[in-house]
Amino acid sequence: MSWTESYPTEFVDHASIAVGDVVPPLTRTINLTDMVAYAGATWDWHKLHYDAEYVAEKKLPGPIVDGQVYGALLVEMIQDWLGPQSFVKKLDFAFRNLVFAGETLRCSGTVTEVVGNESGTGEITVTMQVVVVDAEGNDGRAAAAPCSAVVLLGTPDGPGASA
Amino acid sequence: MTLLTPEIAALEGTKRVYTAPEPFGGAAGRYFGLAVGDHNPLYSDPAYARAQGLADVTAPLTLLTETNQYAGLEINDEGYAGHTWDLDVPNTRQVRGGNSYTFHRRLRPTDVVTATWSIDKVTSKVNKAGAEMLLINSSATYTNQDGELLAENAETIIFVELTPSKPKEDQA
Repeated sequence: MSWTESYPTEFVDHASIAVGDVVPPLTRTINLTDMVAYAGATWDWHKLHYDAEYVAEKKLPGPIVDGQVYGALLVEMIQDWLGPQSFVKKLDFAFRNLVFAGETLRCSGTVTEVVGNESGTGEITVTMQVVVVDAEGNDGRAAAAPCSAVVLLGTPDGPGASA
Repeated sequence: MTLLTPEIAALEGTKRVYTAPEPFGGAAGRYFGLAVGDHNPLYSDPAYARAQGLADVTAPLTLLTETNQYAGLEINDEGYAGHTWDLDVPNTRQVRGGNSYTFHRRLRPTDVVTATWSIDKVTSKVNKAGAEMLLINSSATYTNQDGELLAENAETIIFVELTPSKPKEDQA
């Protein structure tokens, strides 16, 4: 099975989106291997993200997940719901607590504004959060909150694509 | 004693410009998608991307605002090879406040990225514990070889005083 075969082929009907709609949450465990892969993919090999000896010197309980990955996961959550005919034009997130190797993150979001969506175009605002899932599977401490995105509907690319 | 010294205050307006030595490439986006677990074929399947209206594969949006590919810097002692303001503020701990990204269009493999970083504002305030906090607001603008605006990134770095030198009025 190829890497992309598990990607969905059906997405939410954009014209049906309304304020209060809940975005299907995205849950992801971030292991040390994922963190090493992320370090390579971003050209960022800071020892905080993989070097046990270094983080012990800093008196941290383990390697720290690069907080910027929250942004990637939030965009993934939105795009997996809306499909390729959408474009995240604005993304904001504030850091709250450190996350460590092996912990599981859950991204969630709710539509808080819909503008000009009568024909499935227009834009929506989604308010989101990223939390660490606790041992019971519940929402634990916040990794990033508040988070928000403004998303264009009915287009695969942003306004700069036709510039 | 304030963290907002004249030398720190004078940093407002400082700029750093980095231009990648090569086009972004298609593999970079595919690699990032794999690393974060994003199966979206926009990052790896040119036929799928074209069917959706794009010219070619693209990269996950936040790769541009996160990568150090354009910087061309040496790996430092801590393993970092990206943009930094090299600020050394004694008796503080550094924390990251957050990011605000604006994306203007999707990356293309042919884009050669230039990142222009600037320090927009330097302020200080006192938190509820009485510790002074130095706030560095900086931003980056990402353009390509034709001057097309790709994205913008605003971030806040906070230096928190470790040992308040004296009780201060709560301004936070």
